[in-house]
Amino acid sequence: MEIRDLRVEFDVPAGRLPAVAGIDLDLRRGELLALVGESGSGKSALSMSLVGLNRGPTAHISGEVRFGGRNLVAASEKELRGVRGRDISVVFQDALAALNPTQKVGDQVAEMIRTHRKVGRRDAWKRAEELLGEVGIANPVQAARAYPHQLSGGMRQRVMIAIGLANDPAVLIADEPTTALDVTIQAQVLKLLKRLQAEHGTTIVLITHDLGVVAEVADRVAVMYAGRVIEQGTRDEVLFHPQHPYTMALLHSVPRVDGPHTDRLPAIAGSPLTGVTRPSGCAFAPRCAFASAGCGDHMPELLRRYGGSGHLDRCLLDEPARGRARAGSDSQAVAP
Amino acid sequence: MNLAVPGSLRTPWMIVKRLAAVPLVMLALATMVFIAMRMLPGSPATSLAVGGGAASQSTAEEIAENEARINEALGLNESLADQYTTFLHDVATLDLGRSFYGGNDITKLLGEALPATIELTIAAMLIAVLIGMVTGVVAALRKDTWIDTTTRAIGTVSFSLPWFALGVLSIVIFGVWLRWLPVIGRIPNALDYHPFTNFVLLDAILQDRPELIWPWIKHLILPATTLALSMAGFITRIVRASVLEVLSDDFVRTARMKGLSGGAILRRHVLRNSSLPIVTVLGLQFGSLLGGSVITETVFSYPGVGNLLINGIMQRDYPIVQGAALAIALLFTLVNVVVDLLYLALDPRLRKA
Ligand SMILES: Nc1ncnc2c1ncn2[C@@H]1O[C@H](COP(=O)(O)OP(=O)(O)OP(=O)(O)O)[C@@H](O)[C@H]1O
Ligand code: SF4
Ligand SMILES: [Mg+2]
Repeated sequence: MEIRDLRVEFDVPAGRLPAVAGIDLDLRRGELLALVGESGSGKSALSMSLVGLNRGPTAHISGEVRFGGRNLVAASEKELRGVRGRDISVVFQDALAALNPTQKVGDQVAEMIRTHRKVGRRDAWKRAEELLGEVGIANPVQAARAYPHQLSGGMRQRVMIAIGLANDPAVLIADEPTTALDVTIQAQVLKLLKRLQAEHGTTIVLITHDLGVVAEVADRVAVMYAGRVIEQGTRDEVLFHPQHPYTMALLHSVPRVDGPHTDRLPAIAGSPLTGVTRPSGCAFAPRCAFASAGCGDHMPELLRRYGGSGHLDRCLLDEPARGRARAGSDSQAVAP
Repeated sequence: MNLAVPGSLRTPWMIVKRLAAVPLVMLALATMVFIAMRMLPGSPATSLAVGGGAASQSTAEEIAENEARINEALGLNESLADQYTTFLHDVATLDLGRSFYGGNDITKLLGEALPATIELTIAAMLIAVLIGMVTGVVAALRKDTWIDTTTRAIGTVSFSLPWFALGVLSIVIFGVWLRWLPVIGRIPNALDYHPFTNFVLLDAILQDRPELIWPWIKHLILPATTLALSMAGFITRIVRASVLEVLSDDFVRTARMKGLSGGAILRRHVLRNSSLPIVTVLGLQFGSLLGGSVITETVFSYPGVGNLLINGIMQRDYPIVQGAALAIALLFTLVNVVVDLLYLALDPRLRKA
């Protein structure tokens, strides 16, 4: 999947809110890409727009999402219906809300199968039970007959994943699939995703706040800020040789990468951009401790600067300044 | 408006409790009717004595004499306390007594009238739900377009139309001008209907008389629609709000993510989840529907409990009024039990005992 200059804007009372402000990103077959960034940085808006789930009268989506020889942004609803759930599926954050409260769990999995394949009711149900077993539910036959409220949080999230996997999609987008779960269950769900990636060759986009999660499972990382990717690279590049002051600040705000997971990152000083008007220069400049006069002129391009071949960032600092920033980010990462 | 009912109130246990309360409710109601009837100005004896034939020629003395005789015959000369005890005893033994006029057995009268009223109100509810659901869903799906605005305006108007006016209007238009539909009664005498259960549809099946069904439906259409319209307007509003709410729920997004078409999402996910408030409305509105049926039955000379009740009140026929009121109360209670059961059927989250 190749994403080119993807923009998602919403009409809001104050004007047009650029939730995704021009994103270029390639998804490589079979990889697990982590999408990280503060709340409101546009992670969900980006992932929803890949299959047009946030289309609507107040949404303006432009750019390209190339997938299977098509541009999904320009595709009709009917075309997209064939892609959704079959080639690309999404696992949502709050499984309790994302599951239909009045439908048996088995029916909700079976529905996903029957939407895209000519399978009888009985066979679809059987397959649903198998899938529930595959995602690690201990008693799948019984669970299939349960309603969502009768299952635990971890089980519900597994059900969501089973729905996502039902048609063995090429791409699975998991939007913060573990934030509502406690630490042990979180670890189990992540392991499950990792196993699916290995066994089915599924490409996974994992949206998360949690850099601990990233360290555990990601192959590559894209860091988002104010609707743009400001740094991307392999997990080790981004976590151990961050190039962008925002990434450094994010890393700094996590106590220890392999330490206990936290639901939300401790706030970075200053507040993220959420308004309809954006500064002309670097979007992070108002909060950046290393900003200089040049930073306000124009938005730095997403380029390979001082990192490895696939390690891109949007920051004008030169190499020595980055080194100092990295060293200094322990004491004063960002301006108050 | 949030009509969702807290889950704990709708458990099976709740239904048991509600059923257990029925006798108490009936007792309270019977007492209220007993008192109310005796507080109304005028008495059965007066209306009998005056209304009995050549009343205008009777002297005041004659009337007074008649009254005394009648009072004694009807037991109305006893003390109120004694009357009340007798009354309670009769109610408890399901002996509702006889009409002051003509001496008809009231249990038998109600056995004929109650099924007619049940048919009328069920037909009205079906029509109201059908109209209300369709218009409510359409309004929600076309939110903020002229379709939505028009539908809501019509809904609001029909919600506030008085039954009486609506009934008379429909009689004039469909019965008198267009002559499309019969406007009086329940089933033509010419058909020679011999009631068994008194539910026409059931009898038509039991007695193998399919020719009864169509005339019966034709007689039901106008009164049932008259009765249904105001409830339909209410349901339109509730359904619209509730569909809009469900449409914004996360599981609808999941359904879209699955690649379901708009129609499938509506049928399989939205309708069921937005029907819960409708069930609440049916329960809440059934009382006013019964009130409406009293008026509608009178306007259409429809032989139901409401008609019986009105005639009873006009003639100060205590036993009839008491019997009819009790029958209506019983119906109301039963419908609310059905509503509770519907809740359990529709929402699995409430099924924990
Ligand atoms: N349908 C919408 N209408 C209007 N604004 C929206 C809509 N969806 C998202 N936004 C706005 O777009 C911005 C990005 O939202 P998004 O949900 O993508 O953030 P996020 O990175 O997923 O945050 P979180 O980590 O809290 O989930 C936010 O300011 C949000 O308020
Ligand atoms: S471009 Fe300037 S303001 Fe933006 S992150 Fe780099 S140093 Fe900070
Ligand atoms: Mg989000």
